[in-house]
Amino acid sequence: MLDAMIIGAGPAGLSAAISAAQHGLHVEIVDEYYQPGGRLLGQLHQEPDGEWWNGIEETEKLLEQIESLHITIHCSTSVYDLQKVNKKWVTYTDQGNWESQAVLIATGATESPTPIPGWTLPGVMSIGAAQVLTNVQRIQPGERGVVIGVNVLSFAIARELQLAGVDVAGMLLPPPHLLSKSEGVPQEVLSSLLRFSHLAPSVLMHRGAPFVKGRLAKNLVTAFYPEKGMGVWGIPLQLRRTALEIKGKNQVEGIRVAKVNRKGELRNAITHDIDVDFVCIAGGLSPLAELAAIAGCKFIHEDALGGYVPVHNEKMETAVSGLYVAGNITGIESAKVAISQGTIAGLVIAKSLGARMINGKINEALQEVESRRAAATIQFHPHVISSRESLYKTKKTQ
Amino acid sequence: MSTLIVCRCEEVSLETLQKTAYQYHCSSRELKLRTRAGMGVCGGRSCRMMIEQIATAGDNEKNYETETIPLKYQPPIRPVPFGVWGGLSDE
Repeated sequence: MLDAMIIGAGPAGLSAAISAAQHGLHVEIVDEYYQPGGRLLGQLHQEPDGEWWNGIEETEKLLEQIESLHITIHCSTSVYDLQKVNKKWVTYTDQGNWESQAVLIATGATESPTPIPGWTLPGVMSIGAAQVLTNVQRIQPGERGVVIGVNVLSFAIARELQLAGVDVAGMLLPPPHLLSKSEGVPQEVLSSLLRFSHLAPSVLMHRGAPFVKGRLAKNLVTAFYPEKGMGVWGIPLQLRRTALEIKGKNQVEGIRVAKVNRKGELRNAITHDIDVDFVCIAGGLSPLAELAAIAGCKFIHEDALGGYVPVHNEKMETAVSGLYVAGNITGIESAKVAISQGTIAGLVIAKSLGARMINGKINEALQEVESRRAAATIQFHPHVISSRESLYKTKKTQ
Repeated sequence: MSTLIVCRCEEVSLETLQKTAYQYHCSSRELKLRTRAGMGVCGGRSCRMMIEQIATAGDNEKNYETETIPLKYQPPIRPVPFGVWGGLSDE
């Protein structure tokens, strides 16, 4: 029997395995993908200080430690059930079952793309799929495409596509309907982008941001936002154009575009078509909670964390005995935060199974999560910190 | 404009879901059962959140106040051969 089974070989799972094994625990990792690293693998962006964050290199650093600690990673292994049987956890996978005293669920997040008429055509993919194709498998998703959905993540990936030699013909808003909500409203999108003005490569946005505080100012900015969009790294960012429909017979051939006013309403029926052979849809990320749900966790809905998250405390313990969570399943944040959360989880599991003299390290790791969270280049949601604080308060009172 | 499909497996459109939710004041679960959205081969992995969103938009259930996810998850959460699900791999 294992001391701990770790589900997910991404930044959180790998770092948890390392800190647990460093304290003498026998741990193994399972992951559905054929290589470890999770979403770290796709990441490639430049930090404001000019340093590049290369997810593949970060993965290699973690894997060196995994190897020196002789931790086994079972790749291409899908967990389909997780149950507590006679006080032991059983992880059921398509490659066999494992028993363990503790389980860490570090399954990360799933994308929630906004649906658009025609989105079932071959050639339409989520922005994350385009990122994996390009950065992990080194295959261009097409020759010329558009990105539908303008947020900080789709910006970063559009840039990655461009670096890979793909023609990104534009970034557009999704059509206004119930499921696109504020993602289809120019002034809402702009105000969410302005939070990232420290990253904005455009001088206009960079200089404009500090002055754009109130709603009136935001309205003014969207009113004066160039109707034809503006170039960001040469990619036309079109906040006043909505993607009405993806066209094509057997695969993507083009996209129909219409003008919208700053509230996202269709201004008139004038449309035009853009020829593309692929389309990326960027919706957002939500914690991948399915295993936590079948293992009996309670959930809380927090918009700032990306949706339903399993109730847990800052030590990564859930309300279910022997069950821990770390990484994006606890809320959408950066890989750096996930790595530190993994370290905490590994240490806390080791303590629960008898490792001693470990409290100091746990406190250090807790502080590291807070400082990384506060210093994050990309706060996926402005209320991440306050939302976490209220979540952890709730957990304590239970 | 072509139909906007929400559930690909069962080919259920946004229009059908919105009409059904409005007509019957459906919870997410009732919306799923009435339309079969989310009941196809993928087990709702791509449309689950949209179904919840459509049900909550009409304020038909107070999803956010409960401690459970509105549409229940049940094992197996990944497609597995019957042999594996039946425990043949244990032997």
